[in-house]
Amino acid sequence: MIRYHISLFILLSIACITQQYFSSMETLFNARVLLFHTVFLCCAVTVKFPAMLLLAYFGGFLWDADNTLAAAAGDPSIYHSPTGSLHFGYSIILFGIMGVIMQGIQPLFRKGVWQISAILSGVSLSIYLLIEFLLINFIRGDFTFTHQVAYQIGLTSLISMGLAPVIFILLFKLSNIFDYTIRYDGLKRRYFNQEGYSIETAAHKLLKKPKG
Amino acid sequence: MKPLNLIAILLFLAGVIWAFTRSEQGVRDIQRSYYAVIDPFLKNGSSLKQEVREFRNELEHSSTLQAKLTSAEAQLVQLRTEVSHLRKLEQENIDLRAALHFKERSPFRVIAANIIRRKPATWWETVTIDRGLQDQLKDHLPVIAAEGLVGKVDRPHDESSTVILLTDEKCQVSAKIQGTQEVGILSGQRAQQGQESMLLLRYLSKEAKIRPGASVVTTGRGGLFPANIKLGTIVSTELGAFDTEALVKPAVDFAALDSVFVLTGHK
Repeated sequence: MIRYHISLFILLSIACITQQYFSSMETLFNARVLLFHTVFLCCAVTVKFPAMLLLAYFGGFLWDADNTLAAAAGDPSIYHSPTGSLHFGYSIILFGIMGVIMQGIQPLFRKGVWQISAILSGVSLSIYLLIEFLLINFIRGDFTFTHQVAYQIGLTSLISMGLAPVIFILLFKLSNIFDYTIRYDGLKRRYFNQEGYSIETAAHKLLKKPKG
Repeated sequence: MKPLNLIAILLFLAGVIWAFTRSEQGVRDIQRSYYAVIDPFLKNGSSLKQEVREFRNELEHSSTLQAKLTSAEAQLVQLRTEVSHLRKLEQENIDLRAALHFKERSPFRVIAANIIRRKPATWWETVTIDRGLQDQLKDHLPVIAAEGLVGKVDRPHDESSTVILLTDEKCQVSAKIQGTQEVGILSGQRAQQGQESMLLLRYLSKEAKIRPGASVVTTGRGGLFPANIKLGTIVSTELGAFDTEALVKPAVDFAALDSVFVLTGHK
C-alpha cells in the first residue's frame, strides 16, 4: 500500500514539472490544461481520507510555491491603495476542498463507475477556479465577473477533465503493479455489501480485461 | 468520524496554519528552494521550444527549396539559399544591433533576459525570465523592452525570476500624461484577455482635459520605476464622482515579447 502512495507523490511531482510546459491559450479565453490539479483529483479518489489530505497539502504547497506573488512595495504616500494578493497556503485549503468532493463519490468509483469521478474532476476544477476568482474579488474589492471569466473557467475545466480517463488508466496500472486495493469502510455497512469493491473492478472495466 | 480521520484533519489544519503564518521572507525561501528544483526543467523546456520552432522553420524552408529544385537549375537554387541565409543573418544582425543600441543608449545598467515561461498561474499576468539572484537581480526592479515598461521583478530566484507584467492588476505604476500636469496610478485590470488588455489610469483630477492618443509615462515617484519610461497611450476617459479614469493602450506588445531588459541601477 505504501508503495502505491509513494508512487502517487512521485506522479504528482512529475505532473507539477509537466505543468510548467502548459501555457494558457489566448484563442480559448486564456483557458489552460491544469494537469497538476487533474492528477491530484484522480489520485484523491483512489486513496483513504488521511492520504488524500496529505496529497492535498503537498499539491497546494507546490502550487503556491510556484505562483504566490510578493507583497506590494513602493512609497506608501504614492501607492496608497496597494492591490492585495492571495496569501501563501490558500491553495492547500482549496486542494483539500476538491479532494473532499472527490472522496464523496468514492463508493461509486469502487463499484467501477470511474466515469462519474472523471466528470466530477471537471466539476471540482470549476469550483476550485470559481472560489479562487471570488477570493481575488473579495481581497481586491470591486466585484468583477465577465463572461470571459466564465468561459475561461468552463473551458479550463473541460479540457483538463478530458485528461482524467488517461490518468485513471495510469493509476489502475500503478495499483496493479503495487497490488493496491481501495478499502472504504465509512458507508459499507449501510449501503454496500461487506465484500467491498476493489480498484481492480474499475480497472478491468476501463481496460476491458476479463477479471481473474 | 473515525479517530484516524479526525487526527488527519487536525494535522492538516495545523499544516495550513503553519503555511499561512509564514513571513514574507519565509515564503521567499520556500519559493527559492522550489525554483532551485524547477529551474533546470524550465530552461530545458524553453530551449527545447526554441529548437522545435527552428526545426519547423527549417522544415518549411526545406520544402520550399525542394519545390524550387524541381523547377529551376541547381546553381540558381544554391544561390537563392545563400541569399536566404544571408537575409536571415542580416535580420539577426539588425535585431542584435537594435538590442545593443538600446543597451548602449540606456542611462541605466541593464541586464538582458529571455522569457522562459509565460503566464504560469491562472489569474496572474506573470512571466518567468532566465535571470535571477546570481545575476544580481533583486525584487521590484523595473523590467523594460525597447517599446516601454514591461513590469517589475516580483520574485527573484537563484537562476530565474518571476516578472509581474504591467497588465496585472497588482502592478501599480505612478504615471503622468505627457503635456499635462495630470498624475495618477496606472495598473492592469482584472480578468482581461490577451491582446485586448487595457490599462487603467486612476486618480486623475476631475477637471482633467485629456485627449485620446496622449502618451503616458512614468513619473519616477514612489521609488519603484525611473521617470519617463513609456507606458502607453490614452484611448478614452471616464469622469467619475471624485476623479477621472482613463483607459490606456500598453506601449508593449506583451504577446510578442521574447526578451526583456532588467534595470539594475544607474550607470
